Amino acid sequence: MAEAKMSGERLNGLRPEKLNEILCSMKQPEVLQGISGPWKSRVVWQDGFRAKAYMRTHASEMDEPGGLDATDLAASAHEQLLSAIGACMTVGFVLNATKRGVKIHDLEIALEGNFDNILKWAGLDDAGNPGYRGIKAKAFVRADADEKTLREIWKLAVDGSPVTQSVVRGTPVTTEIEVV
Amino acid sequence: MSEKKLFPVTVVGSWPRPAWLIQALRKRQASGCAESEFQAVADRAVVECLDAQEKAGVDIPSDGEQRRDNFYSFVVEKLGGMRLMKVSELMDYMKDRARYEEVLRALDVPAFAIKSPIVVERLTEKNGLAQDEVDFAKKHTTRPLKVPLPGPYMLTRSSWFEGLSDKVYGAPEELAKDVVKILRKEVQALKAKGVEFIQFDEPILSQIVYGAESTETFMCAALPNRRDPSDELALAVRLMNETTEGIDGVRFGVHVCRGNWSRKEEVLLKGNYGPMLPYLMQMNIHQLVLEFATPRAGELEVFKEYKNEKEIGLGVVNPRTDEIETPEQIVARVKELAKFYDPEKIFLNPDCGFGTFAERNVNTAEIATKKMAAISEAAKQLRGEFQGKAAAS
Repeated sequence: MAEAKMSGERLNGLRPEKLNEILCSMKQPEVLQGISGPWKSRVVWQDGFRAKAYMRTHASEMDEPGGLDATDLAASAHEQLLSAIGACMTVGFVLNATKRGVKIHDLEIALEGNFDNILKWAGLDDAGNPGYRGIKAKAFVRADADEKTLREIWKLAVDGSPVTQSVVRGTPVTTEIEVV
Repeated sequence: MSEKKLFPVTVVGSWPRPAWLIQALRKRQASGCAESEFQAVADRAVVECLDAQEKAGVDIPSDGEQRRDNFYSFVVEKLGGMRLMKVSELMDYMKDRARYEEVLRALDVPAFAIKSPIVVERLTEKNGLAQDEVDFAKKHTTRPLKVPLPGPYMLTRSSWFEGLSDKVYGAPEELAKDVVKILRKEVQALKAKGVEFIQFDEPILSQIVYGAESTETFMCAALPNRRDPSDELALAVRLMNETTEGIDGVRFGVHVCRGNWSRKEEVLLKGNYGPMLPYLMQMNIHQLVLEFATPRAGELEVFKEYKNEKEIGLGVVNPRTDEIETPEQIVARVKELAKFYDPEKIFLNPDCGFGTFAERNVNTAEIATKKMAAISEAAKQLRGEFQGKAAAS
């Protein structure tokens, strides 16, 4: 694990010293404010069930499966929510492993969820939750550390994941509409 | 080539790899271990596994595939033009990712754990596929040796991947020409080294027949891109016959099973050999090495209409269970077949290897030894009963 401490050397594709420097700097109010947000996304309807999200200099498409008479050109928004959770956990795992000097060889997270009452989405039922009833995430990892260490890293990744915790804690979403 | 005694006892190939060998294999794969260092560790493992087989009474042992990552991926080290790729690396090239996803979930494995040798350049030969294994094993056993090789169909279908291989070989059939050439050369070299039994592993034929409606299993990354099953089986026959054509003086076997990576029987394929047999019987080989201890393989009666056409390597113990089959159970099973099949054409073996994939031993060496000893004891009893009858008939 000592390799991570060596100046300039990369671990898990990151520079541990630089990373630690950045993380420490987050305690400074101006840095913390900048990194806390606001984070933004603008979603623009394209056609049918297709939408495109613009985030900083990036864009990603969303669509719905062909079974809904959609073009299925991209994953649906709810699938991307699963992916966002998994990707956020991945980032957290890599962050915490790198901080500890643990080299990761492979990391993969399988996620799945079932809707509670999709009939509400379809307008066929007034009650219930159209969202996921629950979400399961299973990580597979091969890394240079013992199982106890890897389990600790996994816990830190899950507990510290902004996306996961937004879902777990039921972050309020305030909405409005303007007709133009 | 002909066996003097009835019911020769043999293995299908792999033997459980000890933890220290798996560690050395991992180190080697991570390029953290010199080749000579790994081979020295593997030498020790081969000697131990040959010793265990001999003590268990195995007449035709193998080197336990101790040097191999798995029964077909090892060719990556033996041939130029191939790369061992994880399914996670192949995902960008897959046409039917949803099907792979279902399979991964059914198996509860990560995509990075399944690796396939993928052709990325024109194939080139190095120093043979199994010749180094044979050179070493022959120094440590005087018994006739079985050498498993990946079958020509499996090697072709598992390593041709659209988007990666088609730049050098336009279609699997083009790649097959080089695969057959390489295998023929290997077979001739092994024969010259005095190898008695060459077994071609073609387990994916069961996937061709029974995998179409199932998402329960797959053995190599390229398979879900397969075409019509009868075309695939016909291709398997053609490639096998091109590989063995005109070569005599060595026993050729073909091994077909229904998967051997998990102890959960429910995730492995099931279905009898019936639909495959018309094709297997067209192969110019001597023996069909088949699983019959697991009920998933169906009934022996499927052989009634093919009476004595080929030798049968009868699977009589399940390599994936802790329970040791008794010699009496094995004898009873063999007698079922011997009612309508020539006893001189029956070999005895486990259903499959005991450690097909290096990282997924399906049993311990201790249990493997006990299971092989049970087969040997059964063979002894059967010889006592059938030897006289065979001589009299």
